[in-house]
Amino acid sequence: MGKLEAVDIGMEYYQPRIRHRLLALESVSLTVNEGEFVSMVGPSGCGKTTFLKIVDGLIHPTRGNLLLDGTRIDRPGRERALVFQDASLFPWYTVIRNVAYGLECQGVRASDAQKQVQPFIDMVGLAGFELHYPYELSGGMQQRANLARALAVNPELLLMDEPFASLDAQTRELMQAELLDVWRQARKTVLFITHHISEAVYLSDRVLVMGARPGRVIADVAIDLPRPRDLTLKRNPHFLELEDHIWGMIVSQVKRTMLSDRLVAANGAR
Amino acid sequence: MSTASADPFELSAPPDKEVLDVSLAHASGWRFWLARNERLVFGMSGFIGVLLAWEFATRAGLIRAVFFSSPTAIVGAAWTLVSRGTIWEDIGVSMEEFVLGFVSASVLGILVGIAAGWNRQVNALASPWIAAWYATPHIALIPLIVLWFGIGLGYKVFYVFLVAFFSVTINTLVGVQSAEESYLEVARSFGAGQRTVLRTVVLPAALPYILTGLRLGAGRAWVGVVVSELVGANHGIGFMINLAGQMLNMAQAMFGIVLLGIFGIVIGELMRRVERRFDIWRPQSHSGPLRGR
Repeated sequence: MGKLEAVDIGMEYYQPRIRHRLLALESVSLTVNEGEFVSMVGPSGCGKTTFLKIVDGLIHPTRGNLLLDGTRIDRPGRERALVFQDASLFPWYTVIRNVAYGLECQGVRASDAQKQVQPFIDMVGLAGFELHYPYELSGGMQQRANLARALAVNPELLLMDEPFASLDAQTRELMQAELLDVWRQARKTVLFITHHISEAVYLSDRVLVMGARPGRVIADVAIDLPRPRDLTLKRNPHFLELEDHIWGMIVSQVKRTMLSDRLVAANGAR
Repeated sequence: MSTASADPFELSAPPDKEVLDVSLAHASGWRFWLARNERLVFGMSGFIGVLLAWEFATRAGLIRAVFFSSPTAIVGAAWTLVSRGTIWEDIGVSMEEFVLGFVSASVLGILVGIAAGWNRQVNALASPWIAAWYATPHIALIPLIVLWFGIGLGYKVFYVFLVAFFSVTINTLVGVQSAEESYLEVARSFGAGQRTVLRTVVLPAALPYILTGLRLGAGRAWVGVVVSELVGANHGIGFMINLAGQMLNMAQAMFGIVLLGIFGIVIGELMRRVERRFDIWRPQSHSGPLRGR
């Protein structure tokens, strides 16, 4: 039995304006094992973020079961923490207060919480910026604070929603390498969402490829590259092979959706 | 209503003192001084120019002093009132009306605004009343309020409360509803309870709106003080102006108006300082005239 088990998760939205039911997730089943780094990649609009928010407990699925260590979960809990796509740091709090926010929500006094989170600030390399406000940080530093905020509640399962999507290419690569460092130190189980294939291959033990809408897992690719990894690995032939393999699956998915979207549009026009 | 609504105190933000034209680095002393104090120099010279023209026009008989008074006559009237000491009582009464009315409007307005912005049922219950009362010209209620309260302190405080209350309430309500979904999601994700969400997300997000509401409310409250005193009073700056006007003492009436302006500016500036004090977490923007920078 894995750390996280998702069994037949389905999500359907009703769009009242056009009286249309949108099937966002058809049936997602997956297992993430203890200590594993698993990525989900897929074309945009395939329901990756929806799935991650379901695991975090922010959204209730219309179907299916989620088990964490064999126990059913249906709401946010201490053993999970979400790293948001936009850093979503509160602009009215300093960096340290933001990082301590999860602890504060658990009832730890704000001043005590701020003392406890110092190691995580150091871990993500934000020492010296504790009293800055988010607007004074670069995009990469904001994402580090976002990561530290999630790590600070000491979750067993770390959920990451395209955390590097808004960063420039260089910062992104450096952040990937840093994330692996942090992951090795913190020893967490990670479920990582991205549409960036090389990122997924570089970071993960396994890459789950999602099909286009309605979302479902169409392939489970084991990444048998040695660890620790550094950025030079991205030029390794086997790395490129894996990347190509996944890329091929996604391209066929994207082509299929574009075709079916066109068909739907044509039907709607009639 | 947005935070950028029409505001008498927001004519122009102070210019950024740190940014000066590089070409001035080697300029002569007086040009450098002029560039640094441009606003002061231009502002003062316009002011002094108008006063001089006014004084000259009265003395030359171009306008009639009995209707328009003159700067020196106004200073004279001010001197008389201050040395007689009666002005302090008028100022004190007006201030009392302002403080009582505005503070009660602020406290209640913030509470009602938070409740109506936060809770769906309270919102449905309260918002038609708030919208209707805000849209009604409050001055129309003065005859009724006078009947209820008489021409004492109570009537004026209630009127000041009424005009200030809705600015505070509506701005607070809008501010509470402006809390971004992504921040609320963060709070929920970390398991924050309702009270924690209110304290750590909703109120900080609403604070700039609340402060704007207070500043607008303060401006309206000060107008409310004068309006209520013009209608019926036996003390206060508005009453003093009314009395002086009826006795054709233009200098004294004009002095009253100058006093109102000065207090209006002081109130606005105080509120602005409060706002700035709470605004440390936002990047400072410098808005102001664009040409001639």
